Amino acid sequence: MTVRVVLSTGTSIEHTGGQKEFEIEARNLRGVIKAMEERFPGIGEFLEEETTVAIDGELHESAYFQPLRENAEVYFLPKIEAG
Amino acid sequence: MSAAQQSFKWIGTRPVRPDGVPKVIGTAKYGADYHLAGELYGKILRSPHAHARIRSIDTSRAAALPGVKAVMTGADLPDHDFAYIGPERLAVNFWHVTRNIMAREKVLYEGHAVAAVAATSPAIAKQAIELIQVDYEVLPHVIDVDAAMAEDAPLLFDDMITRGVEPAPSRPSNVSKRIQFEMGDLDAGFAAADEVIERHYKTKPIHQAYIEPQACLANWEKGKGELWSSSQGHFAVRNLTAKLTGITIGDIKVNPAEIGGGFGGKTVVYIEPVALTLAKKTGRPVRIAMSREEVFLATGPTSGASMTVKIGVKRDGTITAAEAILKYQAGAFPGSPVMNGCMCAFAPYAIPNQRTTGYDVVSNRPKAAAYRAPGSPISAFAVESTMDIAAKAIGMDPVDFRLKNAATPGTQMVYGPKLAHGGYVETLQAIKNHPGYKAPLGPNQGRGVASGYWFNGAGDSAATITVNADGTAAISTGSPDIGGSRASMAMMAAETLGIDYDAIESKVVDTEAVPYCHVTGGSRVTYATGMAVIEACKKVIDDMRRRAAMIWDVDVDAVVWEDGHARPASSNVGDLKPLSFKEIASKFSATGGPIGATGTLNAGGQAPGFSTQFCDVEVDPETGRVTVLRFVAAQDVGRAIHPSYVEGQIQGGVVQGIGWALNEEYIYDDAGHMTNAGFLDYRVPVASDVPMIEPVLVEVPNPNHPFGVKGVGEVNICPPMAAIANAVANATGRRMQDLPISPPRLLEAIDERSGTEL
Repeated sequence: MTVRVVLSTGTSIEHTGGQKEFEIEARNLRGVIKAMEERFPGIGEFLEEETTVAIDGELHESAYFQPLRENAEVYFLPKIEAG
Repeated sequence: MSAAQQSFKWIGTRPVRPDGVPKVIGTAKYGADYHLAGELYGKILRSPHAHARIRSIDTSRAAALPGVKAVMTGADLPDHDFAYIGPERLAVNFWHVTRNIMAREKVLYEGHAVAAVAATSPAIAKQAIELIQVDYEVLPHVIDVDAAMAEDAPLLFDDMITRGVEPAPSRPSNVSKRIQFEMGDLDAGFAAADEVIERHYKTKPIHQAYIEPQACLANWEKGKGELWSSSQGHFAVRNLTAKLTGITIGDIKVNPAEIGGGFGGKTVVYIEPVALTLAKKTGRPVRIAMSREEVFLATGPTSGASMTVKIGVKRDGTITAAEAILKYQAGAFPGSPVMNGCMCAFAPYAIPNQRTTGYDVVSNRPKAAAYRAPGSPISAFAVESTMDIAAKAIGMDPVDFRLKNAATPGTQMVYGPKLAHGGYVETLQAIKNHPGYKAPLGPNQGRGVASGYWFNGAGDSAATITVNADGTAAISTGSPDIGGSRASMAMMAAETLGIDYDAIESKVVDTEAVPYCHVTGGSRVTYATGMAVIEACKKVIDDMRRRAAMIWDVDVDAVVWEDGHARPASSNVGDLKPLSFKEIASKFSATGGPIGATGTLNAGGQAPGFSTQFCDVEVDPETGRVTVLRFVAAQDVGRAIHPSYVEGQIQGGVVQGIGWALNEEYIYDDAGHMTNAGFLDYRVPVASDVPMIEPVLVEVPNPNHPFGVKGVGEVNICPPMAAIANAVANATGRRMQDLPISPPRLLEAIDERSGTEL
């Protein structure tokens, strides 16, 4: 299924030449990360280890197993600091 | 059945708190209460200068003192590559961290650790550090964030080039990083406004002011290290200590002590790597306990800040555009919570055109550490003060103004996704409907309203449950209990298993006794570790169904679990007497061996927290003293597992906010020395300073949690500073834009009419 992936400005500058939005074919978050890694080698580890992901607004740590629906919006955000 | 519709036996009740008696009678063991035979006393030599180059350190005289068993400097810790590791907002550079544990080339703040000793008595340790000779070249220093950003400011790092700016600056500065979030068309938004309000604000750095100073005991035996320490996460202590000492994680065990307050400040380490290094050098246990002065001088406070907020609003109350420029002190090393400040600043509102820009700025102060909703309360003070001014400008009630612009599920957030959860509107309605909100006020009195937002966290947690033959059970987690989690874990287990709360013992155990748990912070434990507990309980239930099926000689699918009993799924299964949890537990050996399970997960789906608060204050026009007469704090708590603890969290956050608003600040002399490093002069609120804080629990359950839990520990500290400033403005006609609103500052504003007009 097709999902819309959005990166933060900082991440896009660092890893994707400034491109912030992507359409990706994937069934779960692992698939998104794999597809992004194929396009931009090195970004996969960054997304896995250093981001929180929002899937349709719901925040998750970047765990592989998170399922996706058709046309889901996937945002990779900086991790949330504990207080 | 959704969490909103469920009825519960234990959730929402108020059983006696398990930590109460040990804390009251003094048997609870905190970090400084652990001892081992033959222990040595560690003491740290700290910098007397705010900024100086270290030419040399001579420890020979200290090492020669009888009773001194070891001396160490930064050179005894492994150095690290200069690299930011981890996410943008939390990026950790261990080249910096190891220099914060112990200085190398320079000292960057008064109190910066320079060397340490381990000796047979505290007196010898004190004498020894006085014998260490450090040759300093004193350098100019800078404290204030605006001064640190000035062109001619003394530089803490000669090679610091601001990150996040394209093209990269050609000259170094104290600005570590610039970040920006933006959406819509800001210029068009402000052009569409009838009123545009723009104000500048400053906040002082303040400390978490936990009652218990950092303390730990370290031991090194047979090639392995062991620590006892008070922290918000002993797994984090283990991992950070391993990284900073070069010891493998598997060779360090950390035992959690009871914690006397943390509020974010105990998510990092200061003394554990030092104590363990000294223990390894001597082969003897080493204990280090900070004094209150050391806590103020050398542990992480939160940032002071300089902020500009601009809001455009139409006469009908619609906010058309908003901008915030936030400059936060990081302290001596990069890493303020300014990104959080940017992301949370306007999060309670649906504003189509927004921009938030943040600057992370180093200065000669201790490195900032997390403090309750780190970053959000600071920007909330500026934004919520400006919201109050904007409401006045168009003649609207401040709650109605917020309701008009409130974020709801689907609202676009400036940091990317759309808001997935509600709860904010409900807190506004709770305040609007509170009888006190319309109560008349007397002379010199004013009422103020403010709101706040915090993400709440989730992430990695684990829990283990063991079932005993008499039907009792024990739950073990690796999440230190700083807000009642032992009780809430037991209550969620009792509810899930269908057994009595009193039959469950809830414990926080060491790093070798349970799988990894992330820190107790980010208001994550009741949510995430709670889900791990529920998962473990569900495994036990499945196991007990299997054992009941074995006893009845039926298929496991023919057995259901209801109210603490295995029951036949239907009358077709047979006329079988339900088997209780206790009955099945008693047959553990015959049915396959001991009963127990572990739940582990990387929890997601957490919902953010919203809070709206109002307060009434009275200002003494002769002294400038502000008396808080009433404080009502409504917060969306999802589902209150143990309402008393939840109310305590809200009251605690509000009291800390009152201190932040009215009195707390680091006061420096011209040499960059803190002049009020003690509770006599650093003024936290005491009981006689505050009224009974009235918590209003708004329950909008989170459907992603079996019981509807949302994090409750942090968002309550976001609104109080602006609520008080807004109340003071209404009482005096003066708008206080700098914190704290201490009596001399307010008196000056009243007497000299020097504060900004409303």
